Amino acid sequence: MKNSFYYKSKKFVVNTLIHILLISVAVTCLYPLLWMIVSSLKTQDMIFKDISLIPHQFHFENYTQAWKEGGFGGNFFNSIVYTVSVVFGIVIISSMAAYAFSRLRFVGSKFLFIMFMAAMMIPIPGSFVALYVLLNKLHLRNTPIGYILCMINVGLSTSIFLLKTFFDKMPKELEDAARIDGCSKIGIWWHVALPLAKPVLAVVIVFNALAVWNEYILALIIFDNRKFMPLQVALQSFQGEFVTNYPLLMAGLTITALPIILVYLFMQKYIIKGVTQGAVVG
Amino acid sequence: MLFKNVFLGIFVLFSVLGCSGQKTDSKPAISIWHWMTDRDAAFQELAKKYETLTGIRVNFELYAPSDAYSQKIRAAAQGINLPDVFGILGEKRDFASFIKAGHILDLTFYMDANNNIWKNNFFPKALAVNEFTAGNSYGINPGIYGAPIDIMTIQMVYNKKLFSQLGLNPNRPPKTLQEFLDIGPKIQAAGMQGLVSGWGEVWMIDCLANDFAFNIMGKDKVLATIRGEVSYTDPDWIKVFSIFKQMQGSGVLAKGLVTMINKSAEQLFANEKAVFAFNGSWCVNVYKGMNPSLEYGAMLPPQVSDKYPVSIWGGAGSSFMVNARSKNKEEAVKFLIWLTDQEQQAYLSKVTNNLPANKNCLAKIPEVLAQFARGMDYATHPNIWGVSEFSLVIEAFDRGIQSIIIGEKTPEQVASEVQQIKERELDKRKAR
Repeated sequence: MKNSFYYKSKKFVVNTLIHILLISVAVTCLYPLLWMIVSSLKTQDMIFKDISLIPHQFHFENYTQAWKEGGFGGNFFNSIVYTVSVVFGIVIISSMAAYAFSRLRFVGSKFLFIMFMAAMMIPIPGSFVALYVLLNKLHLRNTPIGYILCMINVGLSTSIFLLKTFFDKMPKELEDAARIDGCSKIGIWWHVALPLAKPVLAVVIVFNALAVWNEYILALIIFDNRKFMPLQVALQSFQGEFVTNYPLLMAGLTITALPIILVYLFMQKYIIKGVTQGAVVG
Repeated sequence: MLFKNVFLGIFVLFSVLGCSGQKTDSKPAISIWHWMTDRDAAFQELAKKYETLTGIRVNFELYAPSDAYSQKIRAAAQGINLPDVFGILGEKRDFASFIKAGHILDLTFYMDANNNIWKNNFFPKALAVNEFTAGNSYGINPGIYGAPIDIMTIQMVYNKKLFSQLGLNPNRPPKTLQEFLDIGPKIQAAGMQGLVSGWGEVWMIDCLANDFAFNIMGKDKVLATIRGEVSYTDPDWIKVFSIFKQMQGSGVLAKGLVTMINKSAEQLFANEKAVFAFNGSWCVNVYKGMNPSLEYGAMLPPQVSDKYPVSIWGGAGSSFMVNARSKNKEEAVKFLIWLTDQEQQAYLSKVTNNLPANKNCLAKIPEVLAQFARGMDYATHPNIWGVSEFSLVIEAFDRGIQSIIIGEKTPEQVASEVQQIKERELDKRKAR
């Protein structure tokens, strides 16, 4: 007969093991962030000489220097404009397209959907030259609108896939009720489908916001003018072929990471809901 | 209502963004695209100086990192949007393809003008990287198609302070292999680390082994080996492989060298933990960042034989090409002539710690940079050999040396294995 001591001990051991595992994972995730912040407060030679996590001297001036030398002001604003525009464009277009693929019957719908899914398989860098030539012909090269349209295009496939999976599971009775109340197709999409899809939209928003915020290669190729470049391009100015200015790079990375961490924290509860509701199926 | 407002807002935003790109483009007289982050500030400064002198505006645009820059240049070439001046990264065949497509101006006329005055400024081996000789395998008209901005050599460096601690003369680095090997036991006795290098990234082993090979058997025999006319089991090649065994045996190599990445090697040397390092001239900039007070000197790899000259890898670090379709090509050439003149080259070298391509300004730059630059007299590079080894052979060659260092294989075993792969690859080529 197993007594309560046995069960208490077992629970304690299991809990301890789970906590050790979770703490290890948390430390693995947090350590690079901590190293980034600590390194942003050291000098270049101290990074290589002093491996301690608490610097002997805090060099907060690295942040102002990174901001000035990287020309972060304008780039920061550009990144915000690109991220907001692209995410908005993706949410509107992908939700409409996903709803249409899920609910409307039209000729070639399956073929079109497969084409969108196939686009997910194409590595983005593989299409750079083609995109460049296309934008050049449309006179959209070196314009923010050209970059925004490209980035919307890049994010559409995955977002349509996520949203269509959600709309497929949505009860049709809700739409019937809305139709009886006089809602049009667009009205059903706006008043019924979109509000219900909030958790999936949160996933779409965060995934795409991250992708746009961190993108720089396409921007570098499309833009000739530095004033249109996003924040990530400014970060590259601290990274040379052989020499990297680590303190300024880390300060710049900390500045860059902050907004996206805030977006994640703001959307966290929706993302968890989205994932647990099976938003990220497949 | 809300839906309509949102759409209207986005339409207005897109319209504004769409227009903004067209309006803001001010036309610089000369536009230059480059990838050299560490040189950007110096380039901007020189551009200002040039504008003050001539009234011509020069706009340097930085696109880093280098792989993204390469993609941008390729895309711009496709769209015929290349700037007035640009650089090409990659192999010589990439360079040749740009020339064939009519993107690059032949600079020979300008180089040869006024009794070769521009051409004579450069280290000849730095120009060689940008030159296509008569009968070249790429089918390019003979000529010089680029102007080198700086050069790069791969040599050895030694720590002067540790040299003194070992009882050695800090102003007299070892010249011969025997002198080098004799330092090994002293390093071991002092508990220091010997030679560090990025031999985990195997190409640096290849570089030093080729240096020894050129010194032992001469260029012709090395190239004959690559062509398949001499076997890797030849006694001279066995001697090359054996040097690594000798170095390991003497204790002159650092522990864990075969898996060391170059960044770790640079850190060890900069933090005065290692006596020697085998590294490229870019290390001057790296060491300055890691330890500004480091006292060190550059030296050639130790001489093994006096039959042939000592040899190192070196050549143009970066070069600029002029867009053959540019309306500003004459102005662009004039700017490049000015940029590669003594004063500007000395300034670039001092500010960026890179070696100047102009051979006449060595007296005006820091001594350690001048030591590296003087190595150009001994420089060679696979890009100018005209023949190239099979990648599988290079891999077996480098991995084999790693095996010798860790005592897994003998020089004879490695030589035999490399030769077997070489013969297999030659057979495959014949069958094609």
